[in-house]
Amino acid sequence: MSILLDFFRGPEGFTLLSVYHAVLRLSLPVLALFIVVRSAKSLLGFRREPEVWAWLRLATGELLPVTHWENLLGRKKSADIVLDFATVSKNHAVLTRLDDGGWTLTDIGAKGKVEINGSKILSARVRYGDTISLAGLEMVLEPVSKEEARLQANSRTKAGKGNSPGLTLVLLTVFQMLAALELVFNRPEARMTVITAYGILIGVQWTLFVGQKLLKRSGFEIETIAFFLMSIGLGVCASGSPGEMYKQLIAMGIGIAIFLFLGFCLRDLETAKKLRYAAAAAGILLFLANLVLGRNVNGARNWIFIGGFSFQPSELVKICFILAGASTMERIVTRRNLWGFVIYTAFIGGCLVILNDFGAAAIFFVGFLAIALLRSSSYPSAVLIIVGVGMLIVLVWAAALAVKHITHVAERFAGYGHIWEDSFNKGFQQTRSLMCIAAGGIFGLGLGDGWLRYMAGEGASDTDLVFAFVSEEWGLVMAVLMIFALAMLGLFVVRSAKVARSSFYTIGASAAMSILIVQTILNVFGTVDFLPLTGVTFPFVSNGGSSMMSCWGLLAFIKACDTRQNASFAVKLSDQGGDKK
Amino acid sequence: MKSIAKRTFFCLILACFLLFGVLTFVIRYFLYADRWVSFTGSPHVYTNGRLDTGEILDRSGTVLYSSETKQAYAESQTVRRATLHLLGDRAGNIPARVLRAYASKLFGYDKLNGTAAMERSGGKLRLTVSAQVQAVAMQAMNGRKGTVGVYNYKTGEILCAFSGPTFDPLDPPDLETDNADGRYDGVYIYRFFHAAYTPGSIFKLTTLAAALDQLPGLREERFTCTGERIINGQRISCTKAHGEQSLRDALANSCNCAFSEIALRMGKDALSAQAEAERLTESIELDGITTSRGKFDLSDAADNDLASAAVGQYTDLVNPCQYMVFMGAIGGGGRAAEPYLVSGAESGGKQSYAAGTKETPRMLSDEAAATLKELMRHNVQKMYASVDIPGAEVCAKSGTAEVGSDANTATFAGFLDSEKYPLAFIVIVEEGGAGSSTCAPIARDVLQACINVLDGE
Repeated sequence: MSILLDFFRGPEGFTLLSVYHAVLRLSLPVLALFIVVRSAKSLLGFRREPEVWAWLRLATGELLPVTHWENLLGRKKSADIVLDFATVSKNHAVLTRLDDGGWTLTDIGAKGKVEINGSKILSARVRYGDTISLAGLEMVLEPVSKEEARLQANSRTKAGKGNSPGLTLVLLTVFQMLAALELVFNRPEARMTVITAYGILIGVQWTLFVGQKLLKRSGFEIETIAFFLMSIGLGVCASGSPGEMYKQLIAMGIGIAIFLFLGFCLRDLETAKKLRYAAAAAGILLFLANLVLGRNVNGARNWIFIGGFSFQPSELVKICFILAGASTMERIVTRRNLWGFVIYTAFIGGCLVILNDFGAAAIFFVGFLAIALLRSSSYPSAVLIIVGVGMLIVLVWAAALAVKHITHVAERFAGYGHIWEDSFNKGFQQTRSLMCIAAGGIFGLGLGDGWLRYMAGEGASDTDLVFAFVSEEWGLVMAVLMIFALAMLGLFVVRSAKVARSSFYTIGASAAMSILIVQTILNVFGTVDFLPLTGVTFPFVSNGGSSMMSCWGLLAFIKACDTRQNASFAVKLSDQGGDKK
Repeated sequence: MKSIAKRTFFCLILACFLLFGVLTFVIRYFLYADRWVSFTGSPHVYTNGRLDTGEILDRSGTVLYSSETKQAYAESQTVRRATLHLLGDRAGNIPARVLRAYASKLFGYDKLNGTAAMERSGGKLRLTVSAQVQAVAMQAMNGRKGTVGVYNYKTGEILCAFSGPTFDPLDPPDLETDNADGRYDGVYIYRFFHAAYTPGSIFKLTTLAAALDQLPGLREERFTCTGERIINGQRISCTKAHGEQSLRDALANSCNCAFSEIALRMGKDALSAQAEAERLTESIELDGITTSRGKFDLSDAADNDLASAAVGQYTDLVNPCQYMVFMGAIGGGGRAAEPYLVSGAESGGKQSYAAGTKETPRMLSDEAAATLKELMRHNVQKMYASVDIPGAEVCAKSGTAEVGSDANTATFAGFLDSEKYPLAFIVIVEEGGAGSSTCAPIARDVLQACINVLDGE
């Protein structure tokens, strides 16, 4: 009871002000909880209703729905269209929908023949009404009529139904205003900056929301999570280095531009596939620029300074890397090798070794694992590739260590697990973090009222240690909610993979999410000494422009796998009939 | 698509790993946050390099430490020296373990509100020790190295836990220049909790505790001592030939021949089991302090080693605090209270901690305890009647542990068989010569001081 009373008490006992602050301290986590839970309900609770793109009519008259843009036809249970006939191979053919609405059929090395209208093919277009024969099993491809398509679109649950994203966004807006209010009170010297910055944030998120409404898209949960995290990040910035709030907002602007551009490109697979090559090239160029122009900051040469701006190329390369790695199923099953991508990854890994950026190398490695796992046609080959590449990286790293002493990384590893024994040197950041997390309690000391803010910038408390920063000022509840929010996006990606249109999107979303989660893991667990501190950013929260841009870019991939009806601007509405012949 | 969708489990594993890690961290937060928050130098709870704790008081209300005064430590130099190891020194060579353990309770830290509702002053930590008794112990030790411990075996309160040598924390010695004569050797060690000594003959109480249960009729047996016994070619000797004697005289004579015979009849396992029951090789935790482990290992012992171990030599080592608790267990009929140093903490005028009495596991049987009590009482009456305190029946045993050529450790341990003053004690003086002549007077002074303090309460 007395603990509860203490909650409302200030340094001068019970005053109107102390009660006001206490109510504010309580309102923020409650609002945050509502925001996260409401978004979780939509993102994790949606019914996975398949989209039907065409029909296959068997000789028996049975109609089989074609529910993806890429469909594996075969005898095995995990095929998308299961044809349980003895003559049909386990993996027989792939039926792929093209952006123009047409279809192709590809033989993927089946024992039996693949024929269209009686002629054997390896890969050919199929028109509606054509008879497909797989080792003698005949079926006819039939379109979804305009009427059927319209019915289907109407019958599928619209995104956000029963859990209006608009209302969640209203809650988020209240959350942001309360946060700004407290910051204005605790950091009066930065008053104008705080009000303007939060005003811009609120303006941008509503513009994006209304814009999507105009495009008849109603799923805004993914963006809401990003804006929620950004609101906290902006608060950290206001507390630690208010002067950098505008920089963060500019980065957000560029990030959202990348997000929209990428999202629109991903609507059409043909466009996306074209983008791949450009992206792969851009990734290489960015790293080459980094190698030439890079400057050493905190031991890693991963920064470029141009004019007054500085950025980390490796952040943007993450987007290029995923685009380069994503692939359609037809390619996966016909051209079974991954070597091009392995070499690309090796190039990136090599650059990171030279640049001495261990954290980024770990992140790219996990991204590679996610992609390699999805792209390899069987588990054994996946394991082989992953183990091989893993060993290669270890070898390269060991060689690099032998050649030059990587003091920066070595020092950080030396402190790991022994932070209390060397609390003024190697364990400095982590011990201060735990101390401040404990000081913050469950509800925090108040925005702009912590101690870690004195360690912003050079001390990296607003980037590497941001989990502790948020715990101290916003409370442990808020810090944990940030993590829940990100983990939830991860679960959403896994859930929605089942109803994805193309493996390109599944790979993209899964890789993007894996990268975001592993960043969170490295950041948070580094701060609390579960893992060595690697200096990786917390998505959307850490103060850092390049990271902000890259996170928004990665978010586009997640947006592109959201196939709920009318959910995502990065997914074409599916109510166009397939009856163009 | 299906098989590709399934492989997004990779992302699921990462997400679960993240959630699992966060859950683990939250659990750790609730377990350890009060330690993290009082981390040395934390700007949240330190002002000018001193913990914002308030006061530390002894059992009579004497201020031992106050974060609100400039010198922080007690007014009286005697008290400062007598309580040094409890409070720690400024340089951190002697850590303030008790203070650190309760710091968060003193400034009113709670895990819900963090330091937001913290009291910057007014914390009070009450210790069970008496500064007055500590001072008597220090004077009685007279600069010798060793330790004096007294505790109430019914409640667990430690009244005295003195460790020597000591110094004034306001005027610490420079060990580079001030220790030419070795007087500050091991001064940073809190010997009562963090040392382990060869016990010598006080260990015969352990041997007897085991034997009384193992060998029925032992109490009535008679033993013949010729002054020495040869076991495995190894000589076990007594100070003189004790002749034929009863068990209680064998203890009073501290007859090595009789006890080696008892040990051999009883065997290794029974003695090891008794040492285990007394937790001699374990550490106990009390109020932020983890005691040092003793040693009792007969795994490679031949018969002569067993005989030697049974009289407190061989590789035997006991921690003073632990052995004092065993004395309490004899006094308490087989079990004692677990010792503690902090009776309570206050923050902002409200109690934030109150100690409670916990019992140790059983260390010996009722019957063995009763017999030992009788034998130890007889021992005092026969051998060191000068130690006896009117109104409190002192039961004790002395020891002279051979640890080197001429540097014997003098030991003396026992308890008061008294409802009013249920005190167990141990006195150890390094290079102290004979236990009875060196330690018994110290024990008498300190026990008398304890009784005076208790009478005053």
